[in-house]
Amino acid sequence: MKTQKKWDNLATDTAERMAAASQFIGNGKRVEPKDIVGLLEAVIRPGDRVNIEGNNQKQADFLAECLLKVDKSKIHDLHMVQSAVPLAAHLDLFEQGIAKKLDFAFGGPQAGRVAKFIKEGKLELGAIHTYLELFARYFLDLTPKVSLICAFEADREGNLYTGFNTEDTPVIVEATKFRQGIVIAQVNKIVDKLPRVDIPAGWVDAVVESPRPFFVEPLFTRDPALVTNNQILLGMLCLKGIYAEYGVQRINHGIGFLTSAIELMLPTYGEELGLKGKVCTHMILNPHPTMIPAIEEGWVDTIHCFGGELGMEKYVAARPDVFFVGPDGTLRSNRAYAQTAGHYALDMFIGGTLQIDPYGNSSTATANRVAGFGGAPNMGCDPKGRRHVTQSWLKCGQELPSMPEQIGTMPRGKRLVVQGIETFGEGRDPAFVEELDAWQLAKNAGLDLPPVMIYGDDVTHIVTEEGIAYLSRCKDMETRMAAIRAVAGFTPVGINAKPEETRRLRDAKIVMTPEDLGVDRDRATRDMLAAKNIRDLVTWSGGLYEPPARFRNW
Amino acid sequence: MSKWSTLQSRSFLESSARERALGLVDEGTFTEFVGPFDRRTSPHLEVLGEAVEFDDGIVTGVGKVGKTPVFVISQEGRFIGGAVGEVGGAKMVGTLKAAIAFADKIAAEFPNATDEEKPVVVISFETGGVRLHEANAGLLAHAEVMDQFQRARGKVPVITLIGSKVGCFGGMGFVAAATDAIVMSEFGRLGLTGPEVIEQEMGKDEFDSADRALVYRTTGGRHKYVMGDCNAIVDDTIAAFRAEVVKLAKLPVSAFEAMRRIGSEALVAKQLKGVALAAEMQPKDARDVWKHAGNADPIALANVPLDEFRSTVKRLAL
Repeated sequence: MKTQKKWDNLATDTAERMAAASQFIGNGKRVEPKDIVGLLEAVIRPGDRVNIEGNNQKQADFLAECLLKVDKSKIHDLHMVQSAVPLAAHLDLFEQGIAKKLDFAFGGPQAGRVAKFIKEGKLELGAIHTYLELFARYFLDLTPKVSLICAFEADREGNLYTGFNTEDTPVIVEATKFRQGIVIAQVNKIVDKLPRVDIPAGWVDAVVESPRPFFVEPLFTRDPALVTNNQILLGMLCLKGIYAEYGVQRINHGIGFLTSAIELMLPTYGEELGLKGKVCTHMILNPHPTMIPAIEEGWVDTIHCFGGELGMEKYVAARPDVFFVGPDGTLRSNRAYAQTAGHYALDMFIGGTLQIDPYGNSSTATANRVAGFGGAPNMGCDPKGRRHVTQSWLKCGQELPSMPEQIGTMPRGKRLVVQGIETFGEGRDPAFVEELDAWQLAKNAGLDLPPVMIYGDDVTHIVTEEGIAYLSRCKDMETRMAAIRAVAGFTPVGINAKPEETRRLRDAKIVMTPEDLGVDRDRATRDMLAAKNIRDLVTWSGGLYEPPARFRNW
Repeated sequence: MSKWSTLQSRSFLESSARERALGLVDEGTFTEFVGPFDRRTSPHLEVLGEAVEFDDGIVTGVGKVGKTPVFVISQEGRFIGGAVGEVGGAKMVGTLKAAIAFADKIAAEFPNATDEEKPVVVISFETGGVRLHEANAGLLAHAEVMDQFQRARGKVPVITLIGSKVGCFGGMGFVAAATDAIVMSEFGRLGLTGPEVIEQEMGKDEFDSADRALVYRTTGGRHKYVMGDCNAIVDDTIAAFRAEVVKLAKLPVSAFEAMRRIGSEALVAKQLKGVALAAEMQPKDARDVWKHAGNADPIALANVPLDEFRSTVKRLAL
């Protein structure tokens, strides 16, 4: 006789936990801040997979701090599965033994402690992911049992408004709730009516009005006043030697001052090169304040955002032709969708890095910090599943002399992946090195692999103040290494460059100096910037941009 | 170096000391004193193995604005934060002495010279004060500059311009306060102890130097204008600062007495009223003082475009 098998163990388990928690939960799923520790002790069991929402921008910081206060004898050895661990509380959980294992994507300010704790055995590392990779695993083998999320507002029934900073919330809630897990939300305010419902009340188990608004880091605000002439030169090289050369329209700009410089030069140098309407028309990008002049000048058709950016709320809401604004009139960012678009639909990723090795592998890792990957590798790679054609993607693929070695006569395109870097970076450290610090980190923290942000075979262009190395035009590793050496300046890698070899590469247009490209170094001054400081950006925005206090210069 | 005509529309904030010096006077009239080709570098920095500049971070010279001879001192913040050492200090003092000697000569040889034919001194400050590598010489320079101000008083007006990145802090804050007239942009900052030092000494709760809105509304041009610590607030272009110099250069020397902050019993009494007001009000923030001065919405006033600020702001009456 066939035994009756139970198929709802997960739901039963959740129901038991929620029954134990019911004493803390009032009307509209509301929980008082003082009862949160009790609630967490009721719904979390040792060894659970738990998610604390947070990335490089918004943080469910109140819930994170409450989790730190639970009775360790009741809750311990948790397996944290979450985008990022930038708060001190995230790592304190491991220090105190409440958490044991970590699967994550981004370390941020706590990167040093992550490395230290791994070494000391306080933290068992699952894996370091990209955002999209981790989200994928939420639906496969890393589904959270309990998720602690954050939203701007809840209504009396427990519906949530995540609005401008929706970011990771939908993907976390969907993965958790549809595997019968438990979702607890901290909100800044409980109101009668929400502007719109981002997360339906039925997917939320408890809501707390946190004592203070959740923390948001304005990570993507770059003060134009800090852009240097060298970054402007690099930006001019990129615009003339890459943007114009390939006609790249679908772009992600990484974080950093080079891309800010490029954004601020679209209405000046870009205009002069006649690029308006031809490049940067579709972007996957947070609401960078430095994009304001280009948007105002009509360069951009559309921008979809991973997250919000403090101070840009009103500006974005007033430009619904450009941004993804809901019927209520406010932006809905969404990291999962933006990363998907960033992985599959971009023609180009351009960003900075810390170190590049002689093969073109690049890394932002230092010997004692597990910084993670964030989203860059998904955009800074050639997506093998891409099938649709755009002109620049096709052109880059056609250039690649090594393609026939792999797929014979079959034509195929390639994503442009551009690394822009000054040969000597902050602290006068050389950017081109014989061996990435990532190797040392792998040893120090016991990682399986050195954490490489962008692999050499994905990089198509390296831009320095010496010029551009068109790796997309190199037929073999020897040529690639020679091209990299040629633009590596006086770094340990660059001093091995041979003048006659560099000459040949320049003749073959594999290496182009500013002079080869017709970029006048003397014009690379701050006069090129459409906005020179934060106040200028506010003026460009017609007063709609409201910069956080720490960025003001008046 | 940009052309004079293109310099005029340039951001004062973005301009180097030499660009400011050149652009502030009439086209083609600037003659530099002890310029970089003279290579008067700091002997102290060399001993310490530090990099030197051929002009020691200060541009000095003379030019003309209309009929007025204008002696210019312009500090460069990109060299050791504009800090004043022995050579730079001597260049400042020497320029002031030359201006005074020139004024004496005009008075002796051309008794009928008009107000606008008499010289003025313009100092474009960008400095954190004394250069610590050569602190004694730097401090002495501060004293010598102040001494020359006393000699210049009633003879050669000394006009301060502040609108560069570093602002004007440390001992040079005192020096600026002792000049006859102060012109600032909203990006200019004037004070004694810099924001980072206050935070370091008194803690983040007292003064958060990372809160730039706080820094600017405590030391920035708009606040200084409300307080009467500067006489005019102008747009951030060389042309706008120059226009103010043009206006001031025509005035009789006697007109500058009324613009001063220190230097008479009446002014001391006025400053003491400010001290009494602070003791009575116990302001927690510059906004409290703005409100007291009659500005109903100080937060909005800090954010409106500068034109609107100038036309609507109420300044503190003491």
